[in-house]
Amino acid sequence: MALLELNDLRVSLEDGTEIVKGVDLDVSPGEIHALMGPNGSGKSSLAYALMGHPAYEITGGEALFDGQDVSEMGADKRAQAGLFLAFQYPHAIPGVTVTSFLRSAINAIRKARAGGEDDPVPIPEFRKELLEAMEHLKIPRELAQRYLNDGFSGGEKKRVEILQMAMLKPRIAVLDETDSGLDIDALRIVANGVRELVGPETGALVITHYQRILNHIKPDFVHVFVDGRIVEEGGPELAHKLEEEGYEAFLPEGAEA
Amino acid sequence: MRRAELLERYRALPMPTTTDESWRFTDLKGFDPDAFVQNGHAPGPGPRTMLEIDVAGLATVDGGGLEIERAPEGIRFELLDESHPQLGELVAADEKFAAQNAAQWEHGLLVHVPKGVVLEQPLYVRVANPPDGEALFWRLLVVAEPGSRFSLIEDLSAPDPELAGYSNAVVELFVGQDARVEYVSLQNLARETWHFASHRARVGRDAELDWVAGGFGSKKGKIRIENDLAGQGATSRVTGAYFADGDQHLDYDTLQEHQAPNTTSDFAFKGALRDEATAVWRGMIRVEPDAQKTNAYQENRNLLLSPKAHADSIPGLEIQANDVRCTHGATVSQVDREQLFYAMARGLTQSDAERLILRGFFQDVLDRIELEPVREALGEALEARIPQG
Ligand SMILES: Nc1ncnc2c1ncn2[C@@H]1O[C@H](COP(=O)(O)OP(=O)(O)OP(=O)(O)O)[C@@H](O)[C@H]1O
Ligand SMILES: [Mg+2]
Repeated sequence: MALLELNDLRVSLEDGTEIVKGVDLDVSPGEIHALMGPNGSGKSSLAYALMGHPAYEITGGEALFDGQDVSEMGADKRAQAGLFLAFQYPHAIPGVTVTSFLRSAINAIRKARAGGEDDPVPIPEFRKELLEAMEHLKIPRELAQRYLNDGFSGGEKKRVEILQMAMLKPRIAVLDETDSGLDIDALRIVANGVRELVGPETGALVITHYQRILNHIKPDFVHVFVDGRIVEEGGPELAHKLEEEGYEAFLPEGAEA
Repeated sequence: MRRAELLERYRALPMPTTTDESWRFTDLKGFDPDAFVQNGHAPGPGPRTMLEIDVAGLATVDGGGLEIERAPEGIRFELLDESHPQLGELVAADEKFAAQNAAQWEHGLLVHVPKGVVLEQPLYVRVANPPDGEALFWRLLVVAEPGSRFSLIEDLSAPDPELAGYSNAVVELFVGQDARVEYVSLQNLARETWHFASHRARVGRDAELDWVAGGFGSKKGKIRIENDLAGQGATSRVTGAYFADGDQHLDYDTLQEHQAPNTTSDFAFKGALRDEATAVWRGMIRVEPDAQKTNAYQENRNLLLSPKAHADSIPGLEIQANDVRCTHGATVSQVDREQLFYAMARGLTQSDAERLILRGFFQDVLDRIELEPVREALGEALEARIPQG
């Protein structure tokens, strides 16, 4: 059984509009999957629903993480179990520094894994790991003391998403257009971050519009997502084809890319 | 004025109702200030303190009296004499509850710091919650002579959160020329206790007053915080942080009265409300004709943690000078669902996420607090109000 298993997954908005219309997708440890599709096709909705955003309800099918139905878990439980979403539009939390946010998150996850007993990470260990990760991701040190995403540039936000991923060490990472708005160097750093994370314990689902990041990440599978459904699947060559031909061939009659 | 006359005056003043503008949001129905035993002589259970701090002077007040547990050399830290000439000079007996306090207070503290005296450690006075059915009229008079520097912490706490008492406080602070006073007033009374307080400070030439108001307890009432910027170059900074839940109602009425030129006032209040709690904050900046080059700022921001919590924020300006800078801001906002989801998506439980967002919301007002133990105690008291989920 795959670590993340989506069977005929359907997701609707609060007003009942169905956005994700039956998705089958398996992500196993060691695999990198790319999900590509036109604007508004429902990629972020799918990602949000997987993470447990209250506005995106799973209305049909199922999403299993490590065999467990995620719809019975709150977002916190999913994160504690090892699911991670790098947000397309990360939110600011004014008054809370990157450092203190990350420490709270790590301690929350450690507490859950210790069966509800407080098990805070020793501060020197945390600091060391944070500094190393920041250096590795070429994030300026001063960012750690700034309020989370408050006034961050687009690229800084994306890097801090990857910093969080590196520190929280999830088992399934979903990256929602983390490459958008990144300069070439940052793109390479992010791609390396994903490659380093993925291994015998961990898999990734990378949502993107661009071939660029895939050149670095080298996905194992590419899925083409149109109007709430996966309409084509293949290897990395599929991404090249999309880059050249666009989504035209996959769109329903009369629709525009 | 003699006590008998003051009592007459108190009796003559009508009980405020919601048709009075300043009581519009604070309904005193069901409250009878005369129904409580006054200064019941059996001391109640001692106050519990919010702070662990090394102090230069320590006093404790309850229904049984005022006890000076420690007093530093070189200053007066003693029982307040009812014939003190400055008593009532700042808080007049022209308001119902201030008048009742003037008529009925028994145990008061005088803090008088002579010219140029600097205290390294704070002075600390703990005021007990009145026991069930009793009233405590607390009176504090502070005289900071020119050039003196010190901190004073007033801590109103309850040993038992259910006590149904009546607390009435009047505090007058005279901050002399070039003096620097830090005044911290923490209100953590029982949630069934009515609380009325009138605090007024007069800040002299080039003097600085740094004031912290923490509001966590009490059932309902009104807290008046008034500053006269009376001498050229005077500065006052008031930082407020409050939290109410259940059916608590907090009412802050603030006044920044600029009487002299080149004066600065900076009031920043932030509050969070949970359950069905309500708060009203009313701020008035008054600039008198002589007070040119006034710089006045006021801000009130509220964070609502439950759909039924409610806050009213009423800023006001009355400006009679032409060369001034006055700014104010007021907001009431809900906890942002997206922020909450973002934090939970990182593994924080809903209550941890709320606590984190709450701490972030208060961070800038907490950062204004100079005394570290006070800053930490307030931060912890705020976080402790979000139940473990
Ligand atoms: N909370 C919401 N309220 C209303 N409509 C929404 C909401 N979330 C998504 N939608 C709509 O659902 C559709 C899918 O949006 P979604 O953000 O999932 O697309 P996407 O594939 O991620 O697009 P993009 O490539 O532009 O990021 C869009 O039509 C969008 O307007
Ligand atoms: Mg999207």
